[in-house]
Amino acid sequence: MHVIETQNLSKEYTAKFSKQKVNALNDFTFKVKQGEIFGLLGPNGAGKTTLIKMLLAITFPTRGDAKLFGTDVKNYKAKTKVGYLPENHKFPSYLTGEQVLSYYGQLSGMKDDSNMTKRIDEMLGMMNLTQWRKTRIKKYSKGMMQKLGLAQSMLSDPDLIFLDEPTDGVDPIGRKEIRDILHEIKSRGKTIFLNSHLLSEVEMICDRVAILNKGDLIKEGNVDDLTKAENIFAVHTVEPIGMDIKQKVMAIDPNAGIGENEINSEAGIDKINGIIDLLRAEKIRIQTINQKTSTLEELFINVIKKDNTN
Amino acid sequence: MLTIIKNTFREALAKKIFIGYYIFYAIVVLIMLFAVNLDAVEGIVSFADIKQVIISVETGFLSLSFNLILFFSLISTSSFIPSMLEKGTIDLLISKPISRFTILMSKFLGAVLFVAVSMVFLIGSIWLILSLKSGYWSPAFLSSILSLTLAFAVMYSITVLIGLLTNSSVISILINFFMIFVLCPVLSIRESVIFTFVKNESVQFVFNFLYYIFPKPGEIKDVTNAMISGDNIAMWKSTITQNEMGLTSIEPAWMAVISSLIFCAVVMSYSVYYFSKKDY
Ligand SMILES: Nc1ncnc2c1ncn2[C@@H]1O[C@H](COP(=O)(O)OP(=O)(O)OP(=O)(O)O)[C@@H](O)[C@H]1O
Ligand SMILES: [Mg+2]
Repeated sequence: MHVIETQNLSKEYTAKFSKQKVNALNDFTFKVKQGEIFGLLGPNGAGKTTLIKMLLAITFPTRGDAKLFGTDVKNYKAKTKVGYLPENHKFPSYLTGEQVLSYYGQLSGMKDDSNMTKRIDEMLGMMNLTQWRKTRIKKYSKGMMQKLGLAQSMLSDPDLIFLDEPTDGVDPIGRKEIRDILHEIKSRGKTIFLNSHLLSEVEMICDRVAILNKGDLIKEGNVDDLTKAENIFAVHTVEPIGMDIKQKVMAIDPNAGIGENEINSEAGIDKINGIIDLLRAEKIRIQTINQKTSTLEELFINVIKKDNTN
Repeated sequence: MLTIIKNTFREALAKKIFIGYYIFYAIVVLIMLFAVNLDAVEGIVSFADIKQVIISVETGFLSLSFNLILFFSLISTSSFIPSMLEKGTIDLLISKPISRFTILMSKFLGAVLFVAVSMVFLIGSIWLILSLKSGYWSPAFLSSILSLTLAFAVMYSITVLIGLLTNSSVISILINFFMIFVLCPVLSIRESVIFTFVKNESVQFVFNFLYYIFPKPGEIKDVTNAMISGDNIAMWKSTITQNEMGLTSIEPAWMAVISSLIFCAVVMSYSVYYFSKKDY
């Protein structure tokens, strides 16, 4: 059984007074396993929030269906072990931090007892909000609100957590702390579904990502595979590469990029070794050999550009 | 469910609604004190007289302020639905393992219970003062706690539906005002006043039709007053009679209460249906 499973999930928004349609999501089919941190990336308006909302039955799909823990999301019981941090969440401003957690904890099915109080203490401590617990949340800063929202989403110790831009407005130290918390949660076998623009962060946190553009799924895979996808090797030499050696290298890989002290090749591992044998035979010393990786950001910009030009 | 109801109470208290209530209580209670003192000074001798005075004070109070209290309660609770529907609030609420039916009904019941408690304080303290001053202890007046709450619940169903449809508390306040102070009174007097100059049968039919389907807060008040003064209450049809001196007297009917409750049930059912289908 998968924690999240969708089948051709689609959403079409129709503007009220015109016939214009927005395809917020097209035939989205995917699965998330237990214990994964899944990242959903995409430019503004790609349909990320729409997808989460459909998974929580806040918005209803035009077509297709979705399941959480094997239960159709139309049944509210599917949401029993689920936590959620909406983008731009808004808590009742007349409550204190502590009351917010108690209120939403109870809505998640927790009992108002000493266990819950202990859990609230724990969460407030984890988010460094203990000294603010008795303060009304209208006095909270943006980052504090965000941390309180995160605390809320984890309070009932759910098995699956949806986070829509979790680090929005949080300072770098806070972000690091949140990353550590997410890793800790994952290590306890929980599943996390994350929406974010901060690609470097997604790269650090997520196991698997999907890239969404204009409602279409354009790339999906393990973070490691995606970023290592490009099979470029760079060989750096100590001695400069002369004209005659250049020609011999070109004989092995006609597409090789050759500089003063560097050879780049996409021709695969055997040809690279051939080039190295050649260099060594010519008494050229090798300093380093690297497989070039692209960052998630480079990949993201490339695939979005490619998709938009198609 | 209890959690949402409790939070609705907290919301009501946080919005300082109760301050408005208490100012209102204070004024009413002060007026009562003066009025009853005055009676005592003028010297009423027999117990029957006292009873009569108290009954007329009570029914007089309700006649004057029933609609006002009702409308005030509606204003003070009208923002509950729109504030629940705000982006970032409703998302989170729906993400919890609670059905949409429960969410909406809890909000509705929370507001109704809040008004009920307020009415216990308001009507209860007036009743206590009158009873202590006069020595005439009759619980009939306390039935207005129930009837005010009931009238509130009926009219609040409109607030809920309009809130869901338009996301606005102002529109629902305006509609409530129109219903309580214009439409419903006009419909109640359709036979004795309007039909004397509107003879067209299909127009009369429309008036009758609207009368039977719309809620009747005014007549709920009449029923309460009749209960307090021990007058007759008909089952199906209220009658307005005019005596030789030109004074009108009303024999109210239970039908007003029943049809109002049906109205409430229908409007709430549609609200729940609408809420369950809507994208947020
Ligand atoms: N209630 C709505 N009515 C009509 N269109 C909507 C509605 N909500 C979202 N959309 C449209 O659906 C598309 C996807 O929106 P969505 O909020 O899912 O984007 P997103 O990927 O979360 O963007 P962001 O990164 O800015 O949060 C957008 O084109 C948006 O205009
Ligand atoms: Mg979004």
